[in-house]
Amino acid sequence: MQVVSAVGEAFNNIVLHGYKGRKEGSIDLRIQTRRNHIRIELRDWGSGFDPTEVPRPKFDTLPESGLGLFIMQSFMEMAYRPGRPNLLTLSKRFVERSSASRKTEGAS
Amino acid sequence: MRFEIKNASGVTHLAIEGELDAVTVSDLRPDLEKLVKAKPTLVEVDLSTLRMVDSSGVGALVSLYKRVRAQGGSVVIKGLRDQPLAIFRLLRLDRVMLNGDPRTPPPAQKSKSRH
Repeated sequence: MQVVSAVGEAFNNIVLHGYKGRKEGSIDLRIQTRRNHIRIELRDWGSGFDPTEVPRPKFDTLPESGLGLFIMQSFMEMAYRPGRPNLLTLSKRFVERSSASRKTEGAS
Repeated sequence: MRFEIKNASGVTHLAIEGELDAVTVSDLRPDLEKLVKAKPTLVEVDLSTLRMVDSSGVGALVSLYKRVRAQGGSVVIKGLRDQPLAIFRLLRLDRVMLNGDPRTPPPAQKSKSRH
């Protein structure tokens, strides 16, 4: 759920902001999975941005925008390198459940 | 995404089903605009069949909430669960938008008197 939410925000961010005003653009999406780890790279050739300049949402004002980056960074590790292409990397390590807990759940 | 807006007994009911995201929210916005312009006194938003919401979808719901309240109305959000509930909690919207509305009239109580 967290990965789907973060990647969706990343994709929409590129479409809405990186390729703003353009009729079309390309996004290169690569997914690498290991046993307890997922790494997703999104490359685009639109306008880049500086994540450190995006203000954190002020929750007490019930913000209506500027939430996507916060969702991404809350649910996954995020790295961004502007350039040609821009590279946004999202990664997450999962805690492996013990075989004992899996057996217990399976039996219930 | 599918949605339905109904008016009954002075209450505006908005139900949203499926995925409310940056793409689908554009289908909903014109109707939300009409809804707000009608100056409703109470809007009940049923999100029990909403599977996914993103920041754009949340933005539309927050906008509805703020605009209706600015006009003196109330908004009650019901049925949030799974991914949408996690997003509302992450963005700390649950504290404000899910705790009920102090201006919402309490439900009519049944008379306990016996005759």
